[in-house]
Amino acid sequence: MSDDFERRLREHLHHEASQVPQLPRELRGRIRNGVQPRPRFGMRAPQLAFAAAAGVLAGALFFGVRNQQVIINALPAGIRQLIQPTPTPQPFVCTDRSGGNPSVSTQVTDIRWARHDGYDRVVVDFSSGIPSYDLTRQPTANFVQDPSGQPVTLDGSAGVKLILRNTDGSPSLARDSKPGFPALREVTQLGVFEGVLTYGLGLAAPTCERVLELSGPPRLVIDFATSGPAPSASPTPTLAPSATALGQFQCVDASGGMDAGPVQLKAIRTAHQPGYDRIVFEFSPGTGAVPPYTVTRQSSTHFVKDPSGQPVTLKGSYGLRLVMRNTTAYGAYQGSSDLTPGLPALLEAAQLGDFEGVNSWGLGLARNSCMRVLELSNPTRLVIDIQTP
Amino acid sequence: MLMDPALTRVIERCREGDRDAFEEVVNRYGLQVLRTARLIVRDEAVAEDVCQETFLKAWRRIRTLRDEEPGPWLNRIATNESISACRRRSRFQVLAERFGRFGGVKREVSTEARLDLARALDQLAPDHRAAIVLHYYQDLSVEETASALGAPVDTVKSRLKTALRRLRELTGSEEVS
Repeated sequence: MSDDFERRLREHLHHEASQVPQLPRELRGRIRNGVQPRPRFGMRAPQLAFAAAAGVLAGALFFGVRNQQVIINALPAGIRQLIQPTPTPQPFVCTDRSGGNPSVSTQVTDIRWARHDGYDRVVVDFSSGIPSYDLTRQPTANFVQDPSGQPVTLDGSAGVKLILRNTDGSPSLARDSKPGFPALREVTQLGVFEGVLTYGLGLAAPTCERVLELSGPPRLVIDFATSGPAPSASPTPTLAPSATALGQFQCVDASGGMDAGPVQLKAIRTAHQPGYDRIVFEFSPGTGAVPPYTVTRQSSTHFVKDPSGQPVTLKGSYGLRLVMRNTTAYGAYQGSSDLTPGLPALLEAAQLGDFEGVNSWGLGLARNSCMRVLELSNPTRLVIDIQTP
Repeated sequence: MLMDPALTRVIERCREGDRDAFEEVVNRYGLQVLRTARLIVRDEAVAEDVCQETFLKAWRRIRTLRDEEPGPWLNRIATNESISACRRRSRFQVLAERFGRFGGVKREVSTEARLDLARALDQLAPDHRAAIVLHYYQDLSVEETASALGAPVDTVKSRLKTALRRLRELTGSEEVS
């Protein structure tokens, strides 16, 4: 049985853990470097590899071989890897990205775009080094200008926000352009404020991207796939989407929110309304914005608890998984962690985890239903409407 | 299928050697691994080394991960790495004390003194501390803790009981009868 000492121990461990606020960037880099393939000759004897290459080259020249490609092809594979330019085999991925060098302070000298087979490319040129950047995907082309807070809607139905830190923009940069490419529809400067330069990119649809950091000149390259796998495959809906005054029900995964610091979940409510079931996640007073979240559809009610990995099966035949980042129910939420409202569509809602600032819930649905996700304020709350017949 | 479909795709890509996909795994579980390691090894730099080694081992063994959530799997690797790191450090401290020149002065602790919980946790044996961290921080059941530690359930129950008793002694807390 848990007593006061065990409760204090639990709180203490969580407090100690919170002293590590994030995974340090240097550690990410060490891990990234650790999984990179090593050249055949390894890093232990690069001089040996270069000496061998020089020897073979000298020999080839001595014997009168003048075709450079012949010389390169004559080299062992490990040496070829060292002297030939590396191709760019990075795949397109469907996640937010970040990178750059936080110690770099620079200026954007140009931003340009081009259409290629299989992708649309955006290139950001810098005067000196690639600064710290974040690339954040979003399910709409609606952005907010910095610092005015004015909303702006770009062409397209999805978007990517590019934030460049310690960066200024050249006065000659275009503020808004509409390439009208298959994926990239519009590029607009959202703001230059306090050393942060922000761009909004309007996309025709949610698209996976590839990010490259190149040098000579320093430039950040963002490729948006125009073919390939869809970023979020969803089962065929049994109910057609329909428009309402609150927005359209959609049969795709949803994500949104904004990271404005730690958030506490305060209450959860459920109710049936004509045409839909509603579940509301309300956050503590003073919460400025709905935290970053994803709502993922699935064709079963089997979920996995976090962090134990234990399986749990909810009522119903379809499911939604809600993951809220930088959020905890600890200390504020007094309700049940397993709700069974028994509504026409929403049969069960169970907390899957509340760990490391990630609060996740599984929703068990009676059938495969489309949904509508709303971010509301006063009080700040996340609303998921599940369509009913 | 029990696993989140998106995560299943990420793991499949990792198995195919996709390093960007593995970066998603690092992003998703990195903080959890680092915090767990930090609580067990009690040292920031060592915890970062443990975290790095955990993910490098995971990358090398990713093909052995079949129909299993990566979280508990990473947890097992991180916990074992953390305990090993504590033991390596302990051996080094013994040598340092023997040669008396590396400043490895062991903190003298009186069981009569009331220590705060942080210092009391420092005093536990690594495998006892790991059990405490998994059970009270990660909220794993005794069975799940045993699975993460690769130890029998009864052994973990015993470790938890002994560790709790020791923590109570060190902090001067009364046990609830």
